[in-house]
Amino acid sequence: MPNLFILTLQLVVVLAVCRVVGWLFQKFRQPKVVGEMFAGIMLGPSLLGWVAPHLSAYLFPASSLGFLNALSQVGVVVFMFLVGLGINPGELKRQGHAAVLTSHVSITAPFVLAAFLALYLYPRLSDDSVAFTSFALFMGAAMSITAFPVLARILAERDMLGSRLGTVAIACAAVDDVTGWCILAYIVVLIRSAHSHTSIWITSGGILGFGLAMIHGVRRLLRGFERAYRKKGALSENLMALMLLLVLASSLFTEYLGIHLLFGAFLMGAIMPKEHKFVRYVLDRFETITVTLLLPLFFAFTGLRTNIAAVKGPEMWMYCGLIILVATVGKLGGSTLASWLSGMPLREAAGLGTLMNTRGLMELVILNIGLDIGVISPALFSMMVMMALVTTFMTSPVLNLLCPKQAPGSAADKAGAERVVSSPGGLHEGEGAAA
Amino acid sequence: MSSTNRNFIIAYILLVGLPLAGLAGVLRNGRNLTAPISIDGVWKVEVRASRPATQPCDKVVSSLLTSSLVVSQSGKSLELTLNGASKTTVPGELDASNIKASLETTSGCANDQPVTVMASVEKTEPKTLTGSLSVANCASCAPVEFRAVRQPRNPGGGAH
Repeated sequence: MPNLFILTLQLVVVLAVCRVVGWLFQKFRQPKVVGEMFAGIMLGPSLLGWVAPHLSAYLFPASSLGFLNALSQVGVVVFMFLVGLGINPGELKRQGHAAVLTSHVSITAPFVLAAFLALYLYPRLSDDSVAFTSFALFMGAAMSITAFPVLARILAERDMLGSRLGTVAIACAAVDDVTGWCILAYIVVLIRSAHSHTSIWITSGGILGFGLAMIHGVRRLLRGFERAYRKKGALSENLMALMLLLVLASSLFTEYLGIHLLFGAFLMGAIMPKEHKFVRYVLDRFETITVTLLLPLFFAFTGLRTNIAAVKGPEMWMYCGLIILVATVGKLGGSTLASWLSGMPLREAAGLGTLMNTRGLMELVILNIGLDIGVISPALFSMMVMMALVTTFMTSPVLNLLCPKQAPGSAADKAGAERVVSSPGGLHEGEGAAA
Repeated sequence: MSSTNRNFIIAYILLVGLPLAGLAGVLRNGRNLTAPISIDGVWKVEVRASRPATQPCDKVVSSLLTSSLVVSQSGKSLELTLNGASKTTVPGELDASNIKASLETTSGCANDQPVTVMASVEKTEPKTLTGSLSVANCASCAPVEFRAVRQPRNPGGGAH
């Protein structure tokens, strides 16, 4: 049984710290999510546990972390559904060759560079229970991911969602995320099958069958939600509950198949109807409680697992620097080069590269899976969390340099504001988009 | 085929195809790499004191590790949590199959040396650790020997 007093106290502390730090970061023109990620780390052994170990042990006793994790995972399941819902890979088709090339290079460049880095890091930061292939593929997937929601939020704040840069960035990020999650699913299956009696082929067949059934069967049924919404302009409580049940059922199924709960939630979101108003409506219903209550718990839980003290000595810090450098060169450099070669002006191409380098919460989700399945070590987890923070943190200032924000009240600004509300991602300037 | 399409195909091969070929090479070469032996996880401990704990120093050392040892591993860098009378976490190093860690604690010995944890891993399944806790150059403090067996890991993967 959870100690309800401690659990409630944890909720109070986590929410308060996340709100305050998120607000402070917003004052410095950073997305709130960066502040919340930072707040999570502040609550963990890296700061609170170091400065006030007794208070930390009282607030976050080891026996309570299971409950905190369970609550935060519910939040991440719903969040992944919302990420899938906001993603529309069909956008890529409308952008032509340039976007296809940029999108694919923005995955392969960081992926391949990460695999090269894995040659160096594997003997130093891993152990022989992890196969090199799993290690290298995980590093590649973790470095090639883009935080679609943070990216959409930054674009919305800058009224760039309707611009060429914005639309290409959104389309590329959608493809990156779908690809990244597919690769991650493969790695999870690979690792879990080593500990399971079920053959990898049976697991893979089950996943393929499930994916096909979802895309070609369930997807059609889901159109009923959109039809109901169009009729009444809203969904009844029963329909919302049914939608949530389907998300949970899909999550359970992917967990049962040997991949993670989150894949099912993401897939259910991805196959939902993509009509703008419907997407916005569903996001509005689910976002508030998820983003304000449950995701801060995930940040706190991630922070409790992140121990910057595990990165000790100049050698370890050099590894950390290398990880940040490779992640940035691969993602920012690769995307910039590809979009520039596709005909985009250099400044705009660099802006796109900067946006694609945003990793945010998506990176934390992937890293937590990696730590859970044992493919990365605690020190490497901490280094990768720092990489996620640095690459997300640098996006806004670098973008300010490359693509200065338009003056408020300008014609472009007004047009942009209208586009923000009806954008495919639907991530307008509100609380929910912060994640 | 239009020149735009041709340029696209060339750029695609150069920027996507070639790196993917490189990735295949990296994955093939990486299979020959060796990483440090895996010792992370929970180890069930059996302590064998060489004599009854009579000296203050003996009592300190023998109370450090009584039930289990938790190892958190990042390559050769370790963090050992000794579950004894209280929980003590100590950083350590892995050299091939030997573990070494030093714990700055007041052992009661005149020379005020740290308590040293030394152990070696046997690569049997389940893995076993054989080692001792001792205070260097302290005649009044007898080493406490221990043997530990790694507990099965969860099916989700490692117990990092």
